[in-house]
Amino acid sequence: MPRLVDMLLSAVLLAGLYATMAYGLGLIYGVLRVVNLAHGGVLMAGAYLGWYLHERFGLDPYLSLPVVLVASFVLGVGLYQGLVRWLPRGAAGGPASLLLLFGVWLVLRNIAYLVFTGNDRTILTAYSSSSVAILGSHVSLNRLVVLGIAVAIAVLLHLGLRRTQVGRAIRAVAQNADSCTLVGIDTHRIYTLSFGIGTALAGVAGVLLATIFPFSPSSGSSELLKAFVVVVLGGLGSITGVALAALIVATVEVFAIFVLPAYLTTAVGFVLLVAILVLRPGGLFGHRVLA
Amino acid sequence: MTLLATRGLTKRFGGLCAVDGVDLELGDREILGVIGPNGAGKTTLFSLIAGSIRPTSGEIVLDGHRVTGLPAHRSVRAGIVRTHQIVRPFGTLTVFENVLVAAMHLSRTATGHARDRAAEVLEFVGLSDRQGHYPATLTLAGRKRLELARALSTGPRVLLLDEVVAGINPTEALALTALIRRVRDERGISVIMTEHVMPAVMSLSDRIFVLDRGKPIARGTPQEVVANPLVVTAYLGTSAGEGAGP
Amino acid sequence: MIVRSPSWIWRRVDLALLAGCVVLAVLPVVLEPSAYTHNQLTFLFLTSAGALAWNWLGGFVGQVSFGHAAMFGVGGFVAARLMLSLHLPAPLGWLGGAVVAGGFALGAHPLLRLRGPYFSIATIGVGEASRLGFTYWESFTGGSSGLSLAIDGDLQYQLYWWALALAAAVAAASLAIRRSSLGLKLLAIKADADAAADVGISATFYQDLICVLSGAVVGLTGGLYASYQSFIEPTDMFGFERSITFVLMAVIGGVGTPLGALLGAVVFVLVRIYLLASYPDLYLGLYGVLLILIILFEPLGLTGLARRGLRWVRRAPAPPGAAS
Repeated sequence: MPRLVDMLLSAVLLAGLYATMAYGLGLIYGVLRVVNLAHGGVLMAGAYLGWYLHERFGLDPYLSLPVVLVASFVLGVGLYQGLVRWLPRGAAGGPASLLLLFGVWLVLRNIAYLVFTGNDRTILTAYSSSSVAILGSHVSLNRLVVLGIAVAIAVLLHLGLRRTQVGRAIRAVAQNADSCTLVGIDTHRIYTLSFGIGTALAGVAGVLLATIFPFSPSSGSSELLKAFVVVVLGGLGSITGVALAALIVATVEVFAIFVLPAYLTTAVGFVLLVAILVLRPGGLFGHRVLA
Repeated sequence: MTLLATRGLTKRFGGLCAVDGVDLELGDREILGVIGPNGAGKTTLFSLIAGSIRPTSGEIVLDGHRVTGLPAHRSVRAGIVRTHQIVRPFGTLTVFENVLVAAMHLSRTATGHARDRAAEVLEFVGLSDRQGHYPATLTLAGRKRLELARALSTGPRVLLLDEVVAGINPTEALALTALIRRVRDERGISVIMTEHVMPAVMSLSDRIFVLDRGKPIARGTPQEVVANPLVVTAYLGTSAGEGAGP
Repeated sequence: MIVRSPSWIWRRVDLALLAGCVVLAVLPVVLEPSAYTHNQLTFLFLTSAGALAWNWLGGFVGQVSFGHAAMFGVGGFVAARLMLSLHLPAPLGWLGGAVVAGGFALGAHPLLRLRGPYFSIATIGVGEASRLGFTYWESFTGGSSGLSLAIDGDLQYQLYWWALALAAAVAAASLAIRRSSLGLKLLAIKADADAAADVGISATFYQDLICVLSGAVVGLTGGLYASYQSFIEPTDMFGFERSITFVLMAVIGGVGTPLGALLGAVVFVLVRIYLLASYPDLYLGLYGVLLILIILFEPLGLTGLARRGLRWVRRAPAPPGAAS
């Protein structure tokens, strides 16, 4: 059993990744009230894009982030304009939106399989196996960079949502879309933007994921699950909440790895989800998921 | 004879005390009006009695039996049923089916008995000619009647009406008021109703119960309550404009 | 009887179902099809039964499960184990699998309180956790090597009628549920679970009931599948792909309609046979596209199209507010 410091450090590093995975899902749900079941698929697609740019052009994955960001954003906008906007709003859209986005996930999966085959991939750079010594622990450089990027994204998101006009409009629509039309906010544009940003965040998270873990076309379900747990636990409309929730989930997982046999660690995410949804539906900061 | 009584009924949401130590009594064949300014706790009180939410403390007794904390569907079996402020018909069921499904809980099957009762109740509220249609095609007044019919068809002893007259035109309101009176007179059901529409409440209620910020502040006949200075202060002391919601 | 479609349709449907069963029952004797066709039909029957049962929970109650493979797998492995270790005759093994699968489904009780998307995502977790757990439980499932059953030619031949009987029973049950008071209550719960409670219907009770029945039947099909293949392994039985197929079949045929899943299963199996032959690498994507098209253009799938056709023929308008 490694030292407590090692485990906590691992948890913090992992939390950054999980938080980044969760923001996109949370944003789309908060604004559109749609659970983006294609989230896992986009994560996977982002991972492949980053991998491809690295394989083909030698582009460092962290430097490719802006490219992936833009590409994923475009994908998100396309998905919204082409498909999601036609869904009925509200409860009636519930199963329909799930199934629609699930279909998108299947398509993404198939495309990845056709283009890249089903083999596991991972992005290996010159520094992939380098580590840095922190607090007497050997910490993978990749994970450290991922954490740094995660923090940067969190800060940017926070500032963007609070300080910019668009950000405020997004928050307004998330609170009460109908009233927004009354004050002249183009809700359609906000929905498109939110879906695009949410997808972009997923794509970026995918690249970050790819630098640490192996992935394949069938990746995405456990990531979706984890992101979902984080969003539910952290409540909506709260970036700090999500960050905190990500930390909790990561910590539980890190400790679970050393206590439970390997096969159960993915089940941990699931058990956590059920436990939270049943015991503490309001998450840490509000928003009930049980009607 | 007291049909329904609450003792010290209290509900806290975190730091907010929505309903605070309410002692209320409802007699047989009686219409009790519950009024109060916005935020007084009327809908919360309803939800407590109907079983939609559980009280923090206190008791609810129906005909000598404790029904405190019974979930909604059990409360219905015990004989307490509620309508909703914002009507909630089953959109994918026809008008008849809406009422039928409520009638079935006593009969367990869709055979004659439940269907007869559903038909009779629809006749009573005047929706028989719309029974094959879907709720979306009804006017708001129609949907309120449907909500009432659905509640009646469960065969209740106590009917909780949550702002049933609000939001419909005066002619319809008058008709609905008459219907509620018939519910008490012809079917022997006791009614607790909350309203912001004063004429309806005043003309219908045998007695009135006034809530302000979760606490009961007055009770008595409509005339007594209206003259009560505490009640006047409670209403005028808050922001002007009624009917804006609880 | 509660009728939601005109009664002449019901009588036709009942008749068609009965006629279909009779025809299919005598088919192997009269036409003597190849072993391949015989087996494909067997597979079709047990797949239909599973899809119809999924629809009870996903369509009638409205709780879309992406984790039904868990019950399928439990049913299959329990049945296989009972046959292998206790040497029980196949039907008893299948029954045992069904019972355990039903019990397993009961464990989903806390999940059933979740609404809509939260329930669905939780079921993804159930499926995945089951797959991992049972893959690891090697002594029970044989791990990635799976379990092999003795190949019994007679049984495989007779499986056709077992599966047909199951499919017929599940189809009849679907119709019966839909037309009964139970069906009406389920529709009410699906429309508004809280309002249903306010008129005396306990959503939790009925959700549990349907979940257990659905799980038990799917478990039963798992057992039949085990005998059909004579070999099962966890990734196939418990996998996400397997869970997806239930959803797909119901959606293609018409989620929520009483027999839509049956149509969906037929289409699904036919398409799969064709795809596996010609484009084995495209089937997931194709199904994805199909899902998207259905959701956008005709949410009630093939049944929806059929109803539109019928209305067009009879020049009748669509009832506003009606769903399934």
